[in-house]
Amino acid sequence: MTTHSKIRCSLRRFPLIGGIAIAAVFAGPTSAHKDPVKPEQLKAYQEVFMEEVRKGDLLFHGDQKMAEQLGVADDLSKTGMACAMCHPMASDTHPQSFPKFQAQIAKFATLRDMINWCIEKPNQGVKIDPESEAMKALEAYITWSNTGSVLQPGKF
Amino acid sequence: MSDELDRIRREMHSVLQPEGVRPDDSLKITRRTFIHGSLIFGAATVGQAFAWWPLLNTLDIAHAAETPFKFAWISDTHLYPRSLNTRFVDKVVRAAQEVQAMDPPADFLIFGGDLAQLGKIEELELGVDLLKEIKIPQHYIPGEHDWYLDMGKKWGELFGQPNWTFDHKGVRFIGLDTVSRGPDYWTAKNMTPEERMGHMATLDGTVAGPWAGVGRDQLDWMEKTLADWDKQRPVVIFSHNPLYEYYPPWNFWVRDWREVHEVLKPYAKVTNIHGHVHQVLYNEIGTLRSIGMLATSWPWPYAPEGLPKLTKPMIRVDPGDPYDGVGWSKIDVAANDQLETEYIMWGRKEVFVQSPEDHDKHVSEVIRPRIADNMWPYR
Repeated sequence: MTTHSKIRCSLRRFPLIGGIAIAAVFAGPTSAHKDPVKPEQLKAYQEVFMEEVRKGDLLFHGDQKMAEQLGVADDLSKTGMACAMCHPMASDTHPQSFPKFQAQIAKFATLRDMINWCIEKPNQGVKIDPESEAMKALEAYITWSNTGSVLQPGKF
Repeated sequence: MSDELDRIRREMHSVLQPEGVRPDDSLKITRRTFIHGSLIFGAATVGQAFAWWPLLNTLDIAHAAETPFKFAWISDTHLYPRSLNTRFVDKVVRAAQEVQAMDPPADFLIFGGDLAQLGKIEELELGVDLLKEIKIPQHYIPGEHDWYLDMGKKWGELFGQPNWTFDHKGVRFIGLDTVSRGPDYWTAKNMTPEERMGHMATLDGTVAGPWAGVGRDQLDWMEKTLADWDKQRPVVIFSHNPLYEYYPPWNFWVRDWREVHEVLKPYAKVTNIHGHVHQVLYNEIGTLRSIGMLATSWPWPYAPEGLPKLTKPMIRVDPGDPYDGVGWSKIDVAANDQLETEYIMWGRKEVFVQSPEDHDKHVSEVIRPRIADNMWPYR
């Protein structure tokens, strides 16, 4: 590689590296630009979480409007059954025991795998996208409802 | 156990369970009970909740029947229209066939409530249609799922009075209505009948509140009904909800259990057989013993707290098998004055836990009430 090309290479990186360097000069040490967390931030984070819990609670209890809003109205159940009919207050869902070998599925499974199994088998519905908002909301509700349970990953 | 529940539980026992008071001590425990696994393996290994009462899938209770007879119990069928859900229909068909096939036949069938899922005419009529395959006399009590769409109108047309009594071969039977006296949670919020029913049909809902109760008027009726009955003679009371406090947030109780026990206290041999809980349950309070029955539809998990220590829990079920953890019961009133209850749990040889891992509370859990029905849409 010639000297000329080395300089050109460095110049191409300048906008990124240079930008970080300049920002660092003005901001000081790496962590010094961060402010202590503020109560309003915590409140906002919690509100985001609780909104997902609320959505998940409604889905879990068979709320048709919320299922339509999240695009899973035709998927979650085709028997009239809702998750809460076997799991009042999300009991017996045991999110704290995942991941684990799940006997019904006969594989090492996550909570999302088990949610989809319940949708497909007892509810006779159609599996939903594991990354969908509906799945995240269900996961949020189930884990929130089991708050305080001791983590026991892998437990039968 | 929460402080409040603990306080109430202590009160319940201090009032109703003075030292030495138990249901009639002519209770018989069969040899089969004594060879049950919980004793073979040691009660201590299977946890506090079922540590010392070795129940089996039969329970013998002393009674004083004049001649032997049997009766059958089916409850909690939770029927949807056939077009939506045939699984529950299939299970009622199976239960009806099995009851009808009993040999010698049962003298009568008790249906313990929640015939329908959402109280629809179509659902109630479907239940009648399916259960008419059983040719013996039938006696029905209501469940909350049967009632709150039209406030019991259709149920009353089909089955008549929700509470009743009859004597049969030396035993006084009483059917109670524990569902129709719920506090009005719908008028102020202008709910439609469907919304009212929807809240009632959600076991862990927070809107319908403590709806289960017997009511002063029915307590007075029960007191009068028992007034001419010999206090040493057996009484069997059927109710949808348990007549003691197990877990109020799911209405696994009646809110006026104290008054119920005041009425029943003078009677030495009282057995309550109830539905609603969809699980094996056994309890004794004062002179009353209570037996919880299976649903045909689906099993509930045990409540997070309050499970009577006298209950030996049912086995943890396979959610992939719609016939697991559900079924019906037959009750033999024997010539030697004993009453034996047998859970017919489909697909299971062992009804009760055999090891700690068989219990649905083997994975410890802390759970909390739901929030969304209070946040939306009725703020």
